[in-house]
Amino acid sequence: MELIPRATFEQIRRERVEELAAERQKGKSVVGYFCIYAPVEMVQAAAAVPVRLVRGGHAAEEAGERYLRADACSFCSACMGNFGLDPLFKQVDAVLAVNNCDMMRRLPESIERQFGIPVFQVYMPRTSEPLPHRVAEFRRQLDLLAAGLSKLTGVSVSDERLESEIAAFNRLRAMLLQASNTRHANSPLLSGRTMLDLAATAWLLGPVKAISLVEEVLRIIAARPRSDVHRPRLMLGGSMLAEDDRWLLDMVEEKADIVTDILCTGARWFAEDVPAVGAPLDRLAQFYVSRTCMHRRPNTDLYSHAQRMAREFRVEGLVYKTLLYCDPYAFEVKRLQRALGIPVLHLDTDYSTENREQIRTRVEAFVETL
Amino acid sequence: MRGWTDPASGRVSFDEWLELFDHVPDELIERYHYYGNSEAWSKYLFPPQMFAIYGMRHLRRLKFDNSLAALRMWGFVQNETERLFRARQTGRRVIATMGDLGAVPVIVNSFPDCVAFYPDCIWWTPFAMESRVLFDAAAELGIGDATCFSRAALGAFAKHSYFPDPDLVIASTGASCDDYSGVEQLVESFAPDMLWVEEPMRCDLRPSGPLEQLLVKEYERVVERMEKLTGHSVTEEELREGVRRANRVRKLVARLRELAFRDAALAALEMMVVEFGNLHYYSDMDEWTAVIEHLLATAEQRAAGGERVVDADALRVVWVTPPADPLLLTYVEDAGARMVGTEYVINQALEIMDASKPPLEAIAKSFMAASLIGTSKARAQSVTSQAREYGAEGVIISGIFGGSHCAMEGRLIADYVKAELDLPVLEFDVTSPSREISRQIGTRIDAFLEVLRSRR
Repeated sequence: MELIPRATFEQIRRERVEELAAERQKGKSVVGYFCIYAPVEMVQAAAAVPVRLVRGGHAAEEAGERYLRADACSFCSACMGNFGLDPLFKQVDAVLAVNNCDMMRRLPESIERQFGIPVFQVYMPRTSEPLPHRVAEFRRQLDLLAAGLSKLTGVSVSDERLESEIAAFNRLRAMLLQASNTRHANSPLLSGRTMLDLAATAWLLGPVKAISLVEEVLRIIAARPRSDVHRPRLMLGGSMLAEDDRWLLDMVEEKADIVTDILCTGARWFAEDVPAVGAPLDRLAQFYVSRTCMHRRPNTDLYSHAQRMAREFRVEGLVYKTLLYCDPYAFEVKRLQRALGIPVLHLDTDYSTENREQIRTRVEAFVETL
Repeated sequence: MRGWTDPASGRVSFDEWLELFDHVPDELIERYHYYGNSEAWSKYLFPPQMFAIYGMRHLRRLKFDNSLAALRMWGFVQNETERLFRARQTGRRVIATMGDLGAVPVIVNSFPDCVAFYPDCIWWTPFAMESRVLFDAAAELGIGDATCFSRAALGAFAKHSYFPDPDLVIASTGASCDDYSGVEQLVESFAPDMLWVEEPMRCDLRPSGPLEQLLVKEYERVVERMEKLTGHSVTEEELREGVRRANRVRKLVARLRELAFRDAALAALEMMVVEFGNLHYYSDMDEWTAVIEHLLATAEQRAAGGERVVDADALRVVWVTPPADPLLLTYVEDAGARMVGTEYVINQALEIMDASKPPLEAIAKSFMAASLIGTSKARAQSVTSQAREYGAEGVIISGIFGGSHCAMEGRLIADYVKAELDLPVLEFDVTSPSREISRQIGTRIDAFLEVLRSRR
């Protein structure tokens, strides 16, 4: 399936890698990041190019096991592998790592040691209550990051530049939210797969190009006829879904509609805006500290978010995919099922491809039960 | 000790230990009580057989230090479950401290009639019992096998019989292991009252002052919640006294480590129990202090007399990450090695606190030495500095399959150690509770020690 009539996501990605290589030739720095806690606005304000690294892949996972044990989470292993294999990862001049789960917190040390790539490590409180001293510490971390980024690029992270980037990313998030919300309707015209591709494209291209792409996609789907057939409405959840996990979405959408998700690589990334009032770094600190994730303690906010999404999007079932050894998400399956009160299909797998037909059978059986 | 003379120092089997116990005069059995009580229920110097009958089957397979001080220590440690229930019966408040391994109990124990304990330490229980019952209970609640053994704590909360339901759970989390953080999250449904405490991430290249200040704020919340719970307004002097008492234990343990690692005056198994006592004093700080004073007197005497518990010529090894199965320590010592250093992820509990500072600052500063909140490189440096000090010949890393930090840092630590000291490193995962060490691990340990021997 094509993202837009003229290109697939993979084509866009290849072109972007070439662009990045050319920009680096001209002296630009590319900063890779992994999770929704990375303050991308700051990277862009420092005149660097932020690129979210969300590639999985079995070959990369296997390559990563050279550095990490087999019981490291598949995404961490794949990241290590991709730094040696993937053309986008090879464009990265520095890594921006915000500690979230324990494995992701430790990943940068291995990246730095094995690949010699400098790392900006930002400490984010794991406890979710935004107490003033916790927010203040994160705010201090942002100051340290600003200094580090300025040193990398030679461009200081000024308030003016930050304001501009906050506005740009807010617009991007708003556009993605608008696209995602079209799925409120019965028989949604925008598939979960296209939504994932749009989000992945946004992390790759940045606000300006991504916004025009989202607008184009919205125009295209608005012209499509809506089906009369009701299919089960599903929500996606679990560990991060990598940009090359679209096979799962395709598989699910053969039988049902994915109408929303609670993924950090999906709707959670664009669920809220950076607040409008206050000094830019203060607002960013408040915004990022308040973001939900299963690894935060307590994780009540994510549960409330999931319940709200399930209600608003009239969700009939949850497909919850965890990566092997991803404890923060895997531990919560039973509790989440109780909290949502809807059927849950839990898929716990790595990036290997051998079990896909088994997964297909389970998905089909799950949809039939709805 | 009147009526008792320690035999020539050495390690004894369970049966020999039992035989030895027959010679302990009644007067000594009557002497030791917990909670400063004098009634019969507070005695704890029981024969090892009793704890085995109560379910600690693994004791039959371990080897123990043959001194009275060690017998006393084991009696005291094994008695902890009973002691916690007695605490509740006698009107004490029971506080479960989770995750931070050593700091919060210093505050809790500054409050009158409050007992802090670590459900975390239940992770040894499935091994001691040779039973999966706690793991099965955790699995029922959503935490299955591909996870750290610390999941036993969740099972214990669900069973309501390993410790009384706590009055308050203080759960520390942050830059710590995911497995235990996940356990804490699921424990929330069992906790009548729960306080989450942030543990910052240490960046070894930056000053830690601001992070200490963050911790102080977190500890102020602990104080506030404890005051609300107890109705007691704790004074600065009470907190200072708490720090002094904790320091007393930490200093005793520091000396014991020195005597064990330098002079082989204490075996690895007892040393592990002693080191973990720094976390929560096995729920009775005063008596635990007396227990290790006794142990230290024995070790000093041995060192002065040139007596050793294990062969002086044994291969010198540093152990990284505490083995959930204590039989591994017995196995390694039987195979001809001895411990000359440990990195049991509890560095924060070994640090002496600066008593001249305001108490919460002193506790915060010592916590910043925590093993799990920093880099693997820092842990490796702790290993290499001990290895240098006592001339270690090899390093053993016992991991936990599915443990978040083990998966990420085992190879890094090995890498750093090899690069810095060119020492052989053995890394293996501890297997599920069983009567014996898995053949494969046994063979790997044997082969590893052969390599060390061949390098002499």
